[in-house]
Amino acid sequence: MNGPILEVEGLQKSFGALKATDEVTLDLRPGEIHALIGPNGAGKSTLIKLITGEIAADAGRIRFEGQAIDTVDAAGRARLGLARSFQVSQLVPDFTALENVMLAVQGASGESFRFLRPALADPALTEPAAFHLAHAGLSGRERVAAAALSHGERRRLEIAMALAMRPRAFLLDEPMAGMGADGARDLTALLSDLRTEAPILLVEHDMDAVFALADRVSVLVYGRVIATGSVAEIRADPEVRRSYLGEEA
Amino acid sequence: MNRAAIIDAGLFAALVAVALVAQAAGEPFVITLATKAAIFALAGVGLNLVLGYGGLVSFGHAAFFGIGGYVAGILASHAMSGAPVATFPFTMQGTNEMLAIWPMAMAVAGLVALAIGALSLRTSGVYFIMVTLAFAQMLYYFAISWPAYGGEDGLSFYVRNTFPGLNTFDPIQFFAIVAVLLGLALGLSALIVRSRFGLALRAARAAPGRAVAVGIRPFGIRLTAFVISGMITGLAGALYADLNRFVSPAMLSWHMSGEIMVFVILGGVGRLAGPLAGAGAYILLEHLLGGVSEYWQALLGLLLLVIVLFAPGGIVGMLNGGRGR
Repeated sequence: MNGPILEVEGLQKSFGALKATDEVTLDLRPGEIHALIGPNGAGKSTLIKLITGEIAADAGRIRFEGQAIDTVDAAGRARLGLARSFQVSQLVPDFTALENVMLAVQGASGESFRFLRPALADPALTEPAAFHLAHAGLSGRERVAAAALSHGERRRLEIAMALAMRPRAFLLDEPMAGMGADGARDLTALLSDLRTEAPILLVEHDMDAVFALADRVSVLVYGRVIATGSVAEIRADPEVRRSYLGEEA
Repeated sequence: MNRAAIIDAGLFAALVAVALVAQAAGEPFVITLATKAAIFALAGVGLNLVLGYGGLVSFGHAAFFGIGGYVAGILASHAMSGAPVATFPFTMQGTNEMLAIWPMAMAVAGLVALAIGALSLRTSGVYFIMVTLAFAQMLYYFAISWPAYGGEDGLSFYVRNTFPGLNTFDPIQFFAIVAVLLGLALGLSALIVRSRFGLALRAARAAPGRAVAVGIRPFGIRLTAFVISGMITGLAGALYADLNRFVSPAMLSWHMSGEIMVFVILGGVGRLAGPLAGAGAYILLEHLLGGVSEYWQALLGLLLLVIVLFAPGGIVGMLNGGRGR
């Protein structure tokens, strides 16, 4: 299939008088990283939540692999292959790293109603989980509780869990949040490779990472997309420079 | 075996040892106390599944305990009188066979848990506590005002129900039945918690947003756990009725819900043998302090306060040196 994997059309969401998402239209194409940038409070996280189905849109349409998913709930969208990571790590703290990823493998498989066999003795869970942990650079950390991992490792575990969903598209909400320069550089390399697995809609504040990674960039200000284009186009766009990038660019 | 498993096995062995020593010493009353502790522990194993592993604070588990008790009592009283329990849509006779009573008690408790869970699990936090409490109190008042089975006075049946090949009137033999069921429930609980289902249940407690994001709907997982939990507590209720040969609305009251909760919290929330440690400690305190003062529950309250403040892992957590589950 050559069309976009994910199409968002005229999406709207208001909280009282605040228009958090205002007629947003964008798409995600195979093999690309599409970065979503914008100042704090621009509605980036709201947009991600509308796409994942955590909150319901007031108007607009979302199509995923050509199919309307507006009436599919969040868990259903995840099973269709829409994998998200969280801005603030949402891990099961008393599960080990391996168990966290096993949970994602299990969720994607849709088979949670098995009561007797220990999950840790189920190679259909443990083997893919170990594989995805290694892919995310967490080999050797399988048995460590998520709560005991370093911040950078938790960010990687978020990625490993998204990978384990065998996703058709990634929605990554600030995967670099709180990372030091070295960690951010390593993670940038990991994300760059991920786009070959599935395209990425990337919300990120780290402009170095965005400009290094993104094939396309959309700029969100007050819930509206004010520009979409290549990195060079966005850097040159006068409105973007005025409203967001400022002296940084 | 890790340390937690050794503690679980040790607590169970201690319960059995108390009963055996009491048998050898000719103290049937102590065996009855151990039996009571085992039945309360079984009720707590049911609650622990949702409270400990699912994070769902049900304040209505007396409903399932009482339903199990009433199913046992009603079937036994009909077996005694010879009148059928129901004539429509089919004729159903009473029975005094434990092997027939248990599945019936569990099935009825499970169905009621399905109905209560389907409604109450749409709420969370303090609302969930209140809704489960409200359902249990409805059943309590229903039992009080239902004269056919004793109403407020409760329902006595004079002969303990039977089990093939055993004399259920012999305290140690009845204890053996209860202990085996408790062991099975603990084993089942250990399996469930480690299974795929248990993984989903624990994840839905600790990180519900994450569960949804990986495609797991917490509602169905929680409802299933609630039904299994209600069935286990219902079985405990049937045994409790048999222990006393008496069932009354008190088994359905919120005091009972609170007591089952105390077993779990005292023993250790989300610890496999927590309810066993808690129920054992409760019976021990009731027996030791109850003779000193009728206000012994004030001391229990104090103890509970200390546990919650200083040892959130309960008795099992303390035995485990504050280590993880």
